[in-house]
Amino acid sequence: MNDYKIIFSGPVGAGKTTAISAISDIEPITTDELATDMTRIQKTGTTVAMDYGMIKLDEEERIHLYGTPGQERFDFMWEILIQGGIGLILLVSNNRPNPFHDMHFFLDAFKEFIGNSKVVIGVTQMDLINRPGIEDYHLQLEDSGVKIPIFEVDARMKKDVSLLVEALLYSLDPGLDG
Amino acid sequence: MTNPPLSPTRMAAIGMDQRQRNALHMLFSTKCDNRYVLMEEDASEICILDLDVFGGERLWEEFRERHPQRPLILVSLKAREISDDVTLFVEKPIPVDRLIDAIEQQRRHLSAKIEDLAQPPPPDTSPRLAEQAEQPDTQQPPRKKRTARKAASLMSESMEWAFVGTSPDIDPKDPQQLAKIYYNPEHYLQGHMQLALNLAARHNKNVGVEGPWPAIRLYFEGRKIRVSAEERQLRPYCTIPDAILKVPLRFLDEEENAAGGAREYSIDAFHWQLALWASRGRLPKGTDLFRPVYLRRWPNFTRLVVTPYALAIAALWAEQPRSLIDTAQTLNIPQRYVFAFYSAAKAIQMAGETRCAADTLPAPSAVEKPKHRGLLRRLMGRLRGDKKQI
Repeated sequence: MNDYKIIFSGPVGAGKTTAISAISDIEPITTDELATDMTRIQKTGTTVAMDYGMIKLDEEERIHLYGTPGQERFDFMWEILIQGGIGLILLVSNNRPNPFHDMHFFLDAFKEFIGNSKVVIGVTQMDLINRPGIEDYHLQLEDSGVKIPIFEVDARMKKDVSLLVEALLYSLDPGLDG
Repeated sequence: MTNPPLSPTRMAAIGMDQRQRNALHMLFSTKCDNRYVLMEEDASEICILDLDVFGGERLWEEFRERHPQRPLILVSLKAREISDDVTLFVEKPIPVDRLIDAIEQQRRHLSAKIEDLAQPPPPDTSPRLAEQAEQPDTQQPPRKKRTARKAASLMSESMEWAFVGTSPDIDPKDPQQLAKIYYNPEHYLQGHMQLALNLAARHNKNVGVEGPWPAIRLYFEGRKIRVSAEERQLRPYCTIPDAILKVPLRFLDEEENAAGGAREYSIDAFHWQLALWASRGRLPKGTDLFRPVYLRRWPNFTRLVVTPYALAIAALWAEQPRSLIDTAQTLNIPQRYVFAFYSAAKAIQMAGETRCAADTLPAPSAVEKPKHRGLLRRLMGRLRGDKKQI
C-alpha cells in the first residue's frame, strides 16, 4: 500500500479542521479539546494533537490529510507530521490580529519542508474582514523570490479547498496533464 | 428597470457567395429588425452552410471538426436526415419563415446554454453536517473514468465554448492564420470598462458606465462592481466588436454610491470574465507569440472563472517566463487555452510580455517529471470528480 501525506497548517481558528473535513473521504478524526488558554478567544475547541482525514484513490493508494496543531506549544508535533509529506497547505485567518505575522511564522517554521516540496496559502474569513486583501499578502512575499499561490478561501467549501490542493499539485508538477 | 433591447445574434454564412450574403444581410436588417448580424465564422454564434456549393459536404465535415458544438443550419436542394442535436436542416428554395424559425430555434438553444453558464453552483456555505461526513463511500454514485486530457477541465463544453472558443491551433509562421488569433479589447465592453477603471483610479471616485444595459457601477475604493443586468444581457456587448461605439462614463452621485441590490463582483473577477468573453481563445492585438510572458503573481483562482489548464499554465509561468507558443508545446495543450488565460490575466495586470527578447533570457527548462506523477494525476482526477458533484 502506498501512502502519501498533504499537510494542513496555520494558526488557531484558521479553518484547518474544516478544510480537511471538506475534502476527506472519511469522517475526519479530530483530537480537539476545549481550549483553556488564550486560544479560547479564537475558537472553543482547538486541535491539540492533529486532525486526520483521507482521500482514497483506490484500494492500494491513499492520500492522508494531516492538520497540525494550531498552538505553538504543540510544535514538536509538526516535525513528526511533515515526514513523507508531498506539500503544505497553509491556512491564515484574516480575522486574527496579525495575519501577516502568522503567515511569516508558519512559512519560517516549515522552511525546510517547503524547500523540498511546495506550499500554497489559503486566506480564510475574508468574508468577515476583507482587509488586508490577497494583493497585500503577495506584497508581503515579494522579496522571497518565489511566487506562491495565495487564494481567498472559504474552508467550508469543497470547491475552494480542492482548488488549493490542485494549485499545490500543479506547483509540484505543471506538466501533470501532459 | 426595463430590459435592454435584445442584442443581435452573430451569424456566419459558409459556402455562400457575396450575392447570397447580401441577401441574408438584407433579410436580417429589414424583416428581422437587426436581431441577427452577419459576421466572420470565427466570431459567430450560429452558422448557415450551403451544402450545394462545390465541396459542400467537405465544408460541413471540416466545420464540424473546427466547431463540434456550434449551432449550424444546413441548406440544400436535397432533403437530409440530421442526426446531431446542434444541426438543423432547411430545404431549398428557402422559405424565409422556415429559415427564421430555424435561426430562432438555434438561438434558444444557445440562450439555454448561456443561461446554464450564468447559474452559479449552489453555495456550500453551511458547516459540514455530521451525517454527510458519515455517508459511506458505497453510497456515492460511481465516478466515470476520465482521461488525463479530459480531466484538465471541469468546465462543461458549453462553458468552454463561451470562454475559450473552439479555434484550432495555428501555424505562427502563416500570416493568414496569425491574423485570426487577435482581437482588440478596445472594441468590446472590456475596453470601455478599462477606461472606466482608469478614470476611477485617476480621480479616486466611483464611476458609472452608461449604455443600453442596466446600470454598471464601479466602486473604486471597495474594488467592487455592481451590475443590475443578468450576464446574458451583458454578454453580447462583451462578444460583438463595436456592438456599442460610445459608452459615456460619469462619476456617481451620493445616492448611487450607496445603492445596493445589484449583482456584485470584484473588479478583477468582472474584468477577467469580460476579457475571456471578448477573447474566446484569442490574444490582445499586438501580442508577440514568441516573446516570453511573465506571471506577476498567481490569480486568486477561487474567485475567478477557471478555464481549462489555467492552473498548469500559472504554475509553469510562476517558475519562469515562457513564450505563449512554448507554453502550449511544453504542456502539450491546445493554444487557445494558453491564449485565453493570457488575455484574462493580462486584463487584470497579472501577466504581460517581458521586455527582453526570448534569446536574451535563459532558455526555458524542460518540465521535469516527478516520480509521483501518476499519483498526483489520480489525486487530481479525484478532486475534479468530487467538484463535479458540488
